[in-house]
This record gives sequence, C-alpha cells and structure tokens, in this order.
Amino acid sequence: MEYLFTIWVVVTLNFLLPRAMPGDPFLYLSAEEGQEVTGFSEEQRQYYLEYYGLDRPVAGQYLSYLSDLLRGNLGYSLYYNEPVSTIILRRLPWTTFLVIAAVLLSTVFGTILGSISAWYREKWPDKFLFFCLILLSEVPAFLLGLVLLFTFAAGLGLFPLSGAITHFANYSSWWEKLLDILHHAFLPVMALTIARLGGMYLLSRNSMTTVLEKDYLRTAWAKGLPQKRIIFRHALRNAMLPIVTRVFLSLGSLVGGAILVENVFAYPGLGHLMREAVMVHDYPLVQGIFLVVTICVLLANFLADLVYRKLDPRIGDYSGIHGG
Amino acid sequence: MLVKIVERVKEFSLPGKAGLVVILVVLLVAILAPCISIHPHNISSGPPLVPPGGGHPLGTDELGVDLWAQICYGARVSLLVGFGTALLAALGGGLMGIVSGYLGGWPDKVLMRLIDIMIILPDLPVMIVLAAFFGPSLLNIILVLALFSWVFPARIVRSQILMLKERSYIKAAETYGAGVWYLMWKHFLPEVFPLVAVNMIRLSGRAIVAEAGLSFLGLGDPTSKSWGLIIHHATNFKGIYYTDFWKWWLLYPWLALIIMVISLAFISRELERMVDPRLGR
Repeated sequence: MEYLFTIWVVVTLNFLLPRAMPGDPFLYLSAEEGQEVTGFSEEQRQYYLEYYGLDRPVAGQYLSYLSDLLRGNLGYSLYYNEPVSTIILRRLPWTTFLVIAAVLLSTVFGTILGSISAWYREKWPDKFLFFCLILLSEVPAFLLGLVLLFTFAAGLGLFPLSGAITHFANYSSWWEKLLDILHHAFLPVMALTIARLGGMYLLSRNSMTTVLEKDYLRTAWAKGLPQKRIIFRHALRNAMLPIVTRVFLSLGSLVGGAILVENVFAYPGLGHLMREAVMVHDYPLVQGIFLVVTICVLLANFLADLVYRKLDPRIGDYSGIHGG
Repeated sequence: MLVKIVERVKEFSLPGKAGLVVILVVLLVAILAPCISIHPHNISSGPPLVPPGGGHPLGTDELGVDLWAQICYGARVSLLVGFGTALLAALGGGLMGIVSGYLGGWPDKVLMRLIDIMIILPDLPVMIVLAAFFGPSLLNIILVLALFSWVFPARIVRSQILMLKERSYIKAAETYGAGVWYLMWKHFLPEVFPLVAVNMIRLSGRAIVAEAGLSFLGLGDPTSKSWGLIIHHATNFKGIYYTDFWKWWLLYPWLALIIMVISLAFISRELERMVDPRLGR
C-alpha cells in the first residue's frame, strides 16, 4: 500500500513539475537564434495548444498522462528522436549491472570485515579496520572514482578510460566479450563498492557484536558446537537481519552514487544519459529516467520487505518494517 | 558558555580535534578570501595551466585563473551550502517534529508517512530533475538539499518529544498549567537542541557532498565557483587524461573537498558520542 502511494506521489510530481516551471513553451519555440523573431500569432498558438493537448483542463491532461504511463509510453525524446522507453531500456541494463555488482561485493566484503572486527573486538585488527573504514565511508563515491580513474586508467593504463565495451570490437567468443565488459566495469564497480564498504562494515560489526553477546550463543559454545557452525549458523544468520534491510534501504543513495560514478567513467548507463539529457534540455527523457529510477528503487524496497519476512519468521504477517 | 565549549573540546579525541582545527581554518579562509588570495578568482591573472609555484601557489586553470583564489572563494560556497542547508533543515524538521510529536493524532500520522516516503526516495535523481527544471541557482540548490534533509532532525525531535512528554516532570508542569510555549522553551528545546545541533553537522557534510556532486555534473550554480565546479571544468577538459594538468587542477579542489568532508564527519562522530553515550566508540 505504502509503496503504491509513494509511486503515485512520484508520478504526480513528475506530471506537475514541467507545468509548474516558470515560462511558456511558446516563448522558447518562437525565439530561435539567428532568425528574425517570429512571434506566434493567436491562431498558431491555439493550434499548438490543441496539438499538444494543452488546452484541455489539467485533470484531463493528468488522466491521459496516467493512461499513457500504464501502457509504457513515456513520451518522445526531443533530442534522440526516439521513444523515451526504448532509450531507457537500452541503457538500464548497464546501470543495473553496476548497482547489483556493487551491492553484492560491498555486502559480502563489508560483512566479512565487520565479523572479523567483532570477533577481535578492541584488539588491534578491530582498531585498524575501524579507523580505515570509517575514513573510507566518508569519501563520496564519485571522488573515489576520480582517484581510481586517474591512477589506474590514466596513469597506469591498466583499465579503459571510458565506456562499457570496446567499440567496433570483434570477439572470437562470448567469454572474450564478457571479459571486455568486466574490464570496463571494474573501476566503476570498485568505486561504488569501496564507498559503501564502510557503512556495511559498521553495521555488520555492531550487529555481530550484539549477537555474540547473546545467551543463545553462550549456549552454543557450552554445547561444544564447532566454531564454524557457531559463527555461520548461529551468529551470522541473526546478524544478517539488519544488514539485509539496510542493503535495500540504502539503495536510493547507492543509485545516486551510481549516477555520479557513471559520469566519472562515461559509463553508458542511465546516470550518464540523464546528465546528457539535462544538458540538451530533453525534458521528456529526464522525466522518464527519473520515473524509472525511482520506481526501481521503490520496487527494491518492496522486495526487501518480503525478503526480511522470509529471513525472520518472528515478523510474520506484520504489514511492513517501516510502519510505526 | 564559552568555557563549557572549551572544556568539551578538551575531551575530543585526536581525530576530532584535528577535524575542528581544519574546519576553523576553512572558515578563516572563507572569511578572509579577498585578503589571502593574491590573484582574482574570476578573471585570468596569468598564462593558462601553469604548474604550482612562482606567482601562483596552486597553479592556474585553462583560462589562466589562479586556483588558490578559486579554492578560497569555493570554501565560501561550500560552507554556505552546508550550513545553510543544515540550518534550514533543522528549523523546518525541528518544527515538524515538535508538531507531530506533541500533537500526535493525524498530523503525526501524515508526517510519519511523509518521512517514510522521503527516506526511500533516491535523492540525487530528484535533485537533478529539480535543478533541471528550476534552474541552478545557489538558493535553489540549498532549498532542494534542505527538502531532502529535514527528515533527520524531524525524526530525532519527534522521538525525543514523545519520550519527554511522558516524563513526570513534564506531566507535573502541565498540571500546574504550563502552556505549550512555556513547555517548549523551558523543557523541550534545551533537551532537544544538543541532538539537533549535532545532527546539523552531519547534515552539512551531506549537503556539501551533494552540492559537489551536482556541480560536478554541471548542474551547480555556474556563477558561484564551488570546488565541485572546478572539478567539473577540469574533468571536462579534453586533454586532462593525457597531460599532467590534473596534478594541480584536479588534485587541489579534490583534496579540499575530501579534507573538509572527513573533518566534518570526525567532529560529528565526536559530538554524537558525547551526546549519546550509548553509541559506544
């Protein structure tokens, strides 16, 4: 319910924004550079208003906007001369790939480092890791990306400077192509992963420490269970709960980071496209990307609710983890 | 008051003290920008792309504008955006938190829903869209950033008020006929203020990073040269990857940003630990 409501808010915002914008579309259309100013006559204005459906009441415009959306029609890009949905679908996989890779890597490594830290709490490995990762967690992803780009790509020449794939390359096999893609994605994924690592580390460290102090863990030790089983079955599974929710809840900021990082590496995902669209004032495209990105993030959060309930049977049918 | 602050600062750990010193230095640089920047920050004052040294302590950019001067003035933008956003967010969020926490009922429900929405919504895409539609001025950027920051102080204030409301001394004050405003001034604000103030430092760090990100995308205010904007110009320079220009043009604004953000983070960690001893280390 809550998600549907949020999606509705986003969609409506998207509808209202261009209409709340100061100015008049005809003012821009009529003042082209290098031409004598051709003001619109009243009849022409009327014709275009009718053509774009702007003469209808706002409620009617809103309804047709909604029905268009439901049919997957996001409008027509002014700059690329293609339907917005086609362009977005072409770029979406790259961004999804970056984000998912970064989520997986940062969660896995963050949890491992956090568990190590909790295990050696207050000893030197904990102190060392804590200091390093606190420092890293404060550095925004795009600034990290710039460092990686200039040291590993520009300086050492180990990685390509931009793009997601080598242009006009002929691959002898599919794995060669895969290798090329991974080669291009390595630095952007690294930047996103490292930037997120600190947060995941802190969370799993705290979570693990609390779990390690619980009575059922002492019982497990007392029963003489092997250490591996205690760590993985008893401690980690319970410590994972807050981590899983956090993974999805922080997805919004991760997507923000991905947009910036894509621009650092000129990676052809949605973030890069969004900036290009803003630069050429392609408003339908900007709005389309905005809508797709937010809805994806909302869906991921919805999934988080479901996964959380699966992981923690104690929650049962409670309507949501954010409620209350 | 001042003595109390000095006493508190003495309890800071080493990173916290270092962070405080850095922020004070940045503040000084921002205030004294016209005095300490030898060259003008907006017009060229020498040959383009001179390496650091000689007349230009940090070199010049592609138009021959002195980088040290740009960084000095950029500090003003960063501080303005950071603290402006934090102040606005704390005021707005604080007010919302008080209303919903004290009144309860439907205003509280509406606010909680709103907070839930704001928390899941990815902030950068919304900022880009708003910046694209309403034009990139510094004021707009501060407003948009505040729009995404108020939820944190609002949540803190709300939970504090909910807790305080049930305390016996507040109940006692109420039975003696204390009005809403009296309670607010005398009891709620002194309890809530330290927490919000600490949160403000974190918020300003976030705002500075967000502004740098927007400027890096070229969506910042083009008339106010912030550190992010210098990075934007540097990375958009065609030959930046194949020359040594990045060694000053990109490096110094980058360092300035990183040092600033990390110092703010250290200070806020330190303060959070003092205000809330439960946080542990």
